[in-house]
Amino acid sequence: MLALRPRVVRAIAGKELRSFLGNPTGYVFLTLFIGTSAAAAFLDDSFFGRNLADLATLNRYIAWILMFFVPAITMSTWAEERRAGTDELLLTLPVRDGEVVFGKYLGALGVYTVGLVFSLANLAVLMYLGEPDMGLIFANYLGYWLMGGLFVAVGMVGSMFTANATVAFILGALGCAGLVFAGAWPWSAGIVGTLVFAAVASLTWLVATGVARGVAIAALIGGVLGLAAWLGGLWPGFAEAFSHLSALEHVAWFGQGIVRLGDVAFFAGGSAIALVLCSLLLNRRHW
Amino acid sequence: MTSKDSPSSEVSIRAEHLSKVYGEFVALHDVTFSVRRGTVCAFLGPNGAGKSTTMKILTGYLAPTSGRASLAGFNPSDSEQRLLMAGRLGYLPENGPLYADMTPRELLTFVGEIRGVRDIRAAVERVVPKTGIAEVLAKPIGKLSKGFRQRVGMAQALLHDPEVLILDEPTSGLDPLQIREVRALIRELGREKTILLSTHILQEVEAVADEVVVIREGRVVFTGTVGALKGDESLENRFYELMEAKKEVA
Repeated sequence: MLALRPRVVRAIAGKELRSFLGNPTGYVFLTLFIGTSAAAAFLDDSFFGRNLADLATLNRYIAWILMFFVPAITMSTWAEERRAGTDELLLTLPVRDGEVVFGKYLGALGVYTVGLVFSLANLAVLMYLGEPDMGLIFANYLGYWLMGGLFVAVGMVGSMFTANATVAFILGALGCAGLVFAGAWPWSAGIVGTLVFAAVASLTWLVATGVARGVAIAALIGGVLGLAAWLGGLWPGFAEAFSHLSALEHVAWFGQGIVRLGDVAFFAGGSAIALVLCSLLLNRRHW
Repeated sequence: MTSKDSPSSEVSIRAEHLSKVYGEFVALHDVTFSVRRGTVCAFLGPNGAGKSTTMKILTGYLAPTSGRASLAGFNPSDSEQRLLMAGRLGYLPENGPLYADMTPRELLTFVGEIRGVRDIRAAVERVVPKTGIAEVLAKPIGKLSKGFRQRVGMAQALLHDPEVLILDEPTSGLDPLQIREVRALIRELGREKTILLSTHILQEVEAVADEVVVIREGRVVFTGTVGALKGDESLENRFYELMEAKKEVA
């Protein structure tokens, strides 16, 4: 009943991919990504200081780059449909909400993958300068791809809330920033944890009642509970627990060439949760 | 063929006590009407009367706050039945929203792929002359005139040869010549399909419709044939009477 039909998913993914790559702005973003990743990889003094042909310097910055680059891809996925009114055309075709969400996800992930493939120019530079460990490079890129996949899903959630692409970009970037900052400092992990409490409370309300009215109060109650758990000392390990939501922590292992199942599951599972959230939010037109 | 797949009864479109409430605002109040198969029905009312909201509910885009809709025998509020229903429905939303960066050919191919049309090329060749978009097939939709965009919207609604058409103000933004062409197309399609078209133009009702549903401030104030609506008067007089009568009641 919930099966996704490949024909429909493929058509929607293709439309998204063509829409982005058929637009000059898309190429500007891709060029910026390639340029920025190359600058992060090679312009840091430590790259030549270490005298190793690897991407260790890029690994330090990649999450911060993707935090801005990925929402630029996803900002229009829903916001533009809503602004132009084409969501009504699309959602009255014989499509399931899940097919639309997954198709759009694959399309945006495809754009990101194209950017990542072009950034393999970094590898060409490494091969020119030395003899990079191909296994390590593969693990690095697998980590970038998985983290980008999670950011794409989170960015799509941000785009669900508005018909304005700029606002969608900001919301998407904030969502991705949460996943980066969660691991940066204890206080930022606490804030992320509090926001997760508020989000879970809002969703619980929406799923339980099916009405949007009262969702702000639910979010407020969730947020207060989160603050009580964190600052009130009800949950002593609160900040520590939410620091594990950090993409930095999980992608770091890929940076060392270690592919752990738990880290793959973190990125894949996080993407799945965000896509389910997108489906729920898409269904809100029926509330 | 399962019972779910079975063809609809004599009534193709049915709205039963539909209400739609946004916060404090009641957009639709107890809207009830039906459209028989093979009928062209005009959904007539001033701007903001609730025509588009009703159509969004009938097509499954929105769910009613209360009441029940059915189209081709399927309930649009049920997600699985909506899929089957959408296969038999051609829908032109208000203002004909289309993907501006696509060409009409790309859009029709995209819609055909999603609808699972077996021979998309043949389907495109069938609807292009009907809607008169041959000369713009390769141009970006965003660069087309309102009239051509509206016609492309009609083409996508007709691509799979649906049994029911819902057209939200199909002649909006067209010039007089184009309006005439679209009305002729609707009359031609109406010989074999059920059509519900919204309009606030009285001449349009007389030109294309067999039956008419008049709506004002979210309430149905008349259902019946165009002849019954007119009686011995002009359509214009009767329409204004209905609008004024409701004002007095209010």
